Amino acid sequence: MTQPTRIGLEPLQTIGNDTPRIDAVERVTGAAQYTRDFKLPGMVYARVLRSPHPHARILSIDVSAALALPGVLDVITNETSPIVWGAGCVSGGRQYNDPIKDATIHRRYIFNNPVRCVGDSVAAVAATDRNIAEQALELIEVEYEELPFVLEPEEALADDAPRIWPEGNMCPDTRNEFAPMTSRIGDVEAGFAEADRVFEQRYETGFVHNAQMEPRCALATWEGDKLTLYTPSQGISNCRHDTARDLGLQDHQVRIVSQYMGGGFGNKNQNQDADLIAAELSRRLDRPVMLEYSRREDWLGVHGRWPTVQEYRVGVRNDGTVTAMQMRGYSGMGPYRKNSGGISGMDYYACPNRLREIYPVYTNRTTSGNFRAPSDPHGVYGVESIMDDIAYEMGIDPVEFALRNMRRPTEEAPFTNYSLEEVITTGAEQFDWQARRRVQPGSDEGPLKRGAGFSFMMFRAGLGTSSAVVRVDSQRRYTLYVGVTDIGPGAKTTLGMIAAEALGVPLSQVEVVWGDTDRTPYSVGESGSRTTIMTGYAVVQAAENLKQQIADRGMPGGADVLIGTATPVPSTDGLIRQCFAAHFVEVEVDTGTGTTRVLKYTAVHESGRIINPTTARDQIRGAAIQGIGQALHEDLLYDSRNGQPLSPGYYRGRHLTHQDIPDIDVTFIEVDDGYGPFGAKTAGESGIILAPAAVANAVANAAGKRMRSLPITRDKLLEEVSA
Amino acid sequence: MRALSNHDASSIADAVQAAARARAEGRIPAFSGGGTDLLQQVKDGTDPANVIINLRSVDEAREIEESAGGISIGGLATLTQVMDDAAVRARLPALAQSAESVGTPQIRNVATIAGNMTQRPWCWYYRNGFHCFKSGGEECFSVNGENGQHAIFGGGPSFIVHPSDIAPVLVAFEAVFQLAGPDGEREVPAAEFFVLPRVDPVNENVLGESEMLARILVPSPALNTVSSYHKVMDRAAWTHAEIGVATVIQRDGAAVTDARVVLSGVAPIPWRLRAVEEFLTGRQITAEVAREAGEMSVEDAQPLAKNRHKLPMTSTAVERAVIGLAAG
Repeated sequence: MTQPTRIGLEPLQTIGNDTPRIDAVERVTGAAQYTRDFKLPGMVYARVLRSPHPHARILSIDVSAALALPGVLDVITNETSPIVWGAGCVSGGRQYNDPIKDATIHRRYIFNNPVRCVGDSVAAVAATDRNIAEQALELIEVEYEELPFVLEPEEALADDAPRIWPEGNMCPDTRNEFAPMTSRIGDVEAGFAEADRVFEQRYETGFVHNAQMEPRCALATWEGDKLTLYTPSQGISNCRHDTARDLGLQDHQVRIVSQYMGGGFGNKNQNQDADLIAAELSRRLDRPVMLEYSRREDWLGVHGRWPTVQEYRVGVRNDGTVTAMQMRGYSGMGPYRKNSGGISGMDYYACPNRLREIYPVYTNRTTSGNFRAPSDPHGVYGVESIMDDIAYEMGIDPVEFALRNMRRPTEEAPFTNYSLEEVITTGAEQFDWQARRRVQPGSDEGPLKRGAGFSFMMFRAGLGTSSAVVRVDSQRRYTLYVGVTDIGPGAKTTLGMIAAEALGVPLSQVEVVWGDTDRTPYSVGESGSRTTIMTGYAVVQAAENLKQQIADRGMPGGADVLIGTATPVPSTDGLIRQCFAAHFVEVEVDTGTGTTRVLKYTAVHESGRIINPTTARDQIRGAAIQGIGQALHEDLLYDSRNGQPLSPGYYRGRHLTHQDIPDIDVTFIEVDDGYGPFGAKTAGESGIILAPAAVANAVANAAGKRMRSLPITRDKLLEEVSA
Repeated sequence: MRALSNHDASSIADAVQAAARARAEGRIPAFSGGGTDLLQQVKDGTDPANVIINLRSVDEAREIEESAGGISIGGLATLTQVMDDAAVRARLPALAQSAESVGTPQIRNVATIAGNMTQRPWCWYYRNGFHCFKSGGEECFSVNGENGQHAIFGGGPSFIVHPSDIAPVLVAFEAVFQLAGPDGEREVPAAEFFVLPRVDPVNENVLGESEMLARILVPSPALNTVSSYHKVMDRAAWTHAEIGVATVIQRDGAAVTDARVVLSGVAPIPWRLRAVEEFLTGRQITAEVAREAGEMSVEDAQPLAKNRHKLPMTSTAVERAVIGLAAG
């Protein structure tokens, strides 16, 4: 792999230098303690019984045989423990909003009746060991009344569809009303009237599981009325607050510890039913309870990216100017709405007439929720597929078509800075776009056909509130307290580097304390690409605060310490702040076997100033790899006759192996726009947004056939090329 | 997970006796070579075994030996041993290639060749606990369901595909399997080891209840024999064959005098393409001959509703496998 190319800024003292993770040794030697590694005195083990039916009413549950099994300590059900899991279903998918959670009409419990998908939780057992707990599950007798089910979002909206909730299958919005999410700009019909040509197309994208290495687990223990939860969390502050709310506690009565975790990619935001189930069993038993999900449970009992149907209509003048864009989309949320169901991408265009209507719909598939850039990769695939086809249809280079139609700053909507044109033109040059793309798609002779595709994006980089504390002692040791966890991007190291830079000391002089709500202040959470810019900004401010104290009082002596704190409320002065990227992909499609190989991948990003190029580059590469998997491999197959999932887990997910991964060249164009910590912008999610679109466009360019459904598997490809 | 007992076998004879004893006690034994798949199946509840006969404690049947008559491979030889063995690489390149295409290095380091021959199907219905023929039921859920991965040859009443990459190579080389059971040993030609679901809808092979595959004898190929294993996968590593083509060709000058073409991933057993073999015999391999062989390979195919893509894929794979062995 080549090192990242960097254009624009010189490294500072610490920031901008390739820096190994400060916990790399613990991780690779096995010293790092993950949740499942903890063993507390008296700890017992819990397992969850899950629904085998896609939709059923529970008529009765008999737990007597399970309780009679030696070693079984407790069995809980909806009747014993009717605890609402607030983050498990929220009207409007507004996952961080307390009033909306309170008002949500479709309440999800830790155990539900009726059960609404295969894998929905029914009961939990605690026992002295794991095997006994699993055996006890088989002894719980549940009498189900099976109900009709529906898997596809459009079918779920039919008048005669089985009702998953009493009001029907549209997900309620934040006012508990049942209208589609509608975004209207200008006059779309006027825009179509202005067009010389109108293009229409329909695309589908599949369910993609986050597939993080570590399945969900939680270890709960109580001291008096204080709960400690060891749990892999992408946001210990959010997890604490939600857990306290769900259990009727004050925030200070809950401690969340998440020192090391095996990834999340959006799968571990907030709290999970596992946290609540472990806490409830531990409270009842007054013993520590460890609950572990299997890989299958993690696949079916947590969530993945929502599958979508997208119908586009685009009007274009003969000069290649887009005059109108319209999209009607359907997002399959499973039976509970954990997130919006958004389908984005149209907003990258300047077109003044746009209408987007998205129907978030309940189905009896597994739940959909956050997955790295939740609303974006599937939407960009749809938009860029139709735009790519339009460009070729009209004889325009797709890069040229994008440059002509993409959104740019205006007087009414100014940006802090704007690099979209630069990332596109830099990428096109580095990738050698003109040489690699086929002006006539599918024109290679023979079954092995090559082609190239591209896509572009901007993604929010706005600022927000987070907190940090920095302490210095008389030995000039600095300790940074941040309420972050490290889900992979290296937040601990990044924030340590920001502190070192702001304090003017080497990183080795800064110790980072993280991942424990009793030891650290509020942090925004490792979601929404917010940690580096929001918590990082608080770190800078806390360091400034400490430096001012040192200037005023001198360094502390003896046992004294000085402590700088900050909870800033930063703004971008009304300017739009975005990061920018363009990805270029070359593929080879084997039209004999249907195999697609990615040969070359070029990613150019402007994410402001890069704090740690090592981990920033890995974020872009890792995200691109996930995006290629979404484009070519990953799905969750269901049998439409019985509502059963057929491919949960890694085996049929066919996630990319190292041997499948091409060289992914990453270039950072570095800019300091004067906002954020040292000018840093968002990066973590941005890398996944473009891969499905760029890969799909490359396949279309190679094969000469547009694949209208993700993933682009060999069955679909061979059907299309032999048609 | 249900309660299990483990028996560390001291020898092949001890292993089969222990299995027979467990059967007599009404328990369900399973031989565990590397255990890479079996133990996961037990955990998932898709394999009913409750007595694990551990073969990792067995010292015999692990070696690969070359003699004038051929190569003898202990059933407990690991796939890494098979793919690294100098004699195998020199004389049976298709066997080395097929072993090398299985799983990952970690799997190949412990998985045994006997286990690879006897692994259960990877049909998603079977693996997800559907009560199908393969788990003792009376139905194949794929027939009218999600059958994109299922058989285009030899299906019915079950439509699984045999997952082994190595099995078609051993059929093509006309290997002989030595089976050990509580009542002694017997020998079965590789091609007769595997059985179609119309013969036995539950089991994929002829092994008796307490019998195991102890040794594989691969006769020395004639001089002027070339072989290959050509595998199409859904990713570059760590997955079963969408289709695998084992090809063994004997030549006299440029002309083919004998041919074996056996497929993986498209039928419930390693699937011999006899018509293709006959077509190739007496011919010189050219691009045109390979193309015709490919077309011919699916003439008898009976695709299901969702696996028609396997026809062009099979034709292409067979064509490429054959042209890859052109004299040159």
